[in-house]
Amino acid sequence: MSDPLAVGRELVLAYSTHVAVEPSDFTIPQGVTTIIGPNGSGKSTLLNALAGTIDVRAGSLEIFGEPAPAPHDKLSYVMQSLNVAEGTPITVREVVAMGCYPKLGWFGRFQAEDRRRIDAALARLEVTDLADRHLSELSGGQRQRVYVAQGIVQLHDVLLLDEPLTGLDLVSARIIDDLIHTERENGHSVILTTHDLDEARASDWVVLMSGRVIACGPPDQVLSRHNLEIAYGLGALHGTSGEFADDPDHAHSTPPKASEAHSHREGHTHD
Amino acid sequence: MTWFLEPFALGFQQRALVGGLTAGVMAAVVGVWLVLRGMSFFGDAFVHGVLPGIAAATLFGFSPYLGAALAALVMVAGIEFIHRQSSLKEDTAIGLLFVGMMALGVVIISKSKSFSGAITSILFGDAFGVTQTDLIQQGVLAAVVIATSFVLYRPLLALSFSRAKAETLGMRPGLTHALLLVLIAAAVIGSFQAVGTLLVFGLLVGPPATAALLARTVPRMFVWSVLIAAFSVWLGLVLSYHWGTAGAATMALVAIVIFFVTLIGSWLRRSVLERRATGTAA
Repeated sequence: MSDPLAVGRELVLAYSTHVAVEPSDFTIPQGVTTIIGPNGSGKSTLLNALAGTIDVRAGSLEIFGEPAPAPHDKLSYVMQSLNVAEGTPITVREVVAMGCYPKLGWFGRFQAEDRRRIDAALARLEVTDLADRHLSELSGGQRQRVYVAQGIVQLHDVLLLDEPLTGLDLVSARIIDDLIHTERENGHSVILTTHDLDEARASDWVVLMSGRVIACGPPDQVLSRHNLEIAYGLGALHGTSGEFADDPDHAHSTPPKASEAHSHREGHTHD
Repeated sequence: MTWFLEPFALGFQQRALVGGLTAGVMAAVVGVWLVLRGMSFFGDAFVHGVLPGIAAATLFGFSPYLGAALAALVMVAGIEFIHRQSSLKEDTAIGLLFVGMMALGVVIISKSKSFSGAITSILFGDAFGVTQTDLIQQGVLAAVVIATSFVLYRPLLALSFSRAKAETLGMRPGLTHALLLVLIAAAVIGSFQAVGTLLVFGLLVGPPATAALLARTVPRMFVWSVLIAAFSVWLGLVLSYHWGTAGAATMALVAIVIFFVTLIGSWLRRSVLERRATGTAA
């Protein structure tokens, strides 16, 4: 079993006076991990903490054994909503090329290898023919593909995707879904947030959240009816910690065994 | 041809042109980032906000450049303080400092009756009063501002795209934003002699806004912005000479008129293209 990708211990995340994630312990292994939970459950906040855009308020968060944030060449983050002003004169190619900035810094020159990566990302997300267009001239799905292309151009071991498939047309969703698989085949890990239970069931590992990490582990263990009732408030919400501790379905918070991960991958609906 | 050359026959007229062009190019370059970042209101407040510093400098006899720099510092610190310590949006903080600093400037001016003429020239510029020393100071400042603006191209582009994304790309958006504020302050301070603190805003926003209508990439936006600013300064001085109008105000007015002419032109072009497309489809 490989070393865990991320480990949170008594992790607390907050924006000013609002605590978004209460003390949580969890482990995220390498592979494809889905963070799922209702709106406001702290999914994106946890992703932001992994990306290093918000600080750890209390407890600890380690990525590859080192305190967060991870270096910019280890981790690439594709955000859910980028409010790029309409009419900003930046072409699709320039947006994707920004993915090279962490490697090049403020002054480094683009090399042939960088241009090759940009072309490959444009082709992989099927936006090559849109390269000279502005973002304002694209549909929502095309725009999301451009942001993902920017994400894969950035050197990374881990790709973070915040609700990458929400509200997309079928073509864009298929292209991004395929990419998630390709990333894993290329030895990269993917952590994505979602509202889609089927998408969560298709991943290697699931983190279920509702203001804290309710459970984490293989999907078949985490996505039990009992856990979902706790997370989504469909059943008893109060005094759940005791019930939860006794729940035989309660998922462990260690990485899955290779055999578990493999057997799960066999049943992926992504494919 | 004489009509165009006659306004620049004398030394002070030539200095007005050089001072105006330097101010125009400097403002046009910084203004591109101001427009891309959506900070035009901040820019407007900023050019008003330096007034008390310049007024105090004139009253107490120290460098107006230093006074303007101090006022700019107070303004930025005040906006940041309100923004960090309250849930108010940034435009409210900017508005509060805008009025506060402007009022403070007028209060300082009202304590002395002797320098209202100097204050008028600070506010509205004195293009024909630019000296050789002013031009040298302005030139040095312009060189630094333009060079820094290009050095910061990548972090400023990422910041204009998305502050959060710039953070994840390691482009240090906090530092970049702070440096942009310094660039704006330097452009305003370096221009007030030639075009005045109030009218420099016309060159900060007018040419870059027009360039945004014409350019499809940021580098081209820079080219258009600088060309339009230079043309506005030149035509503004020519017109002010023949019409007997205020030089700096005419330059700013030309820049704004060019924006509206371009806007109407692009609207007409789009209408024609849409009509052709509809005709082809039918």
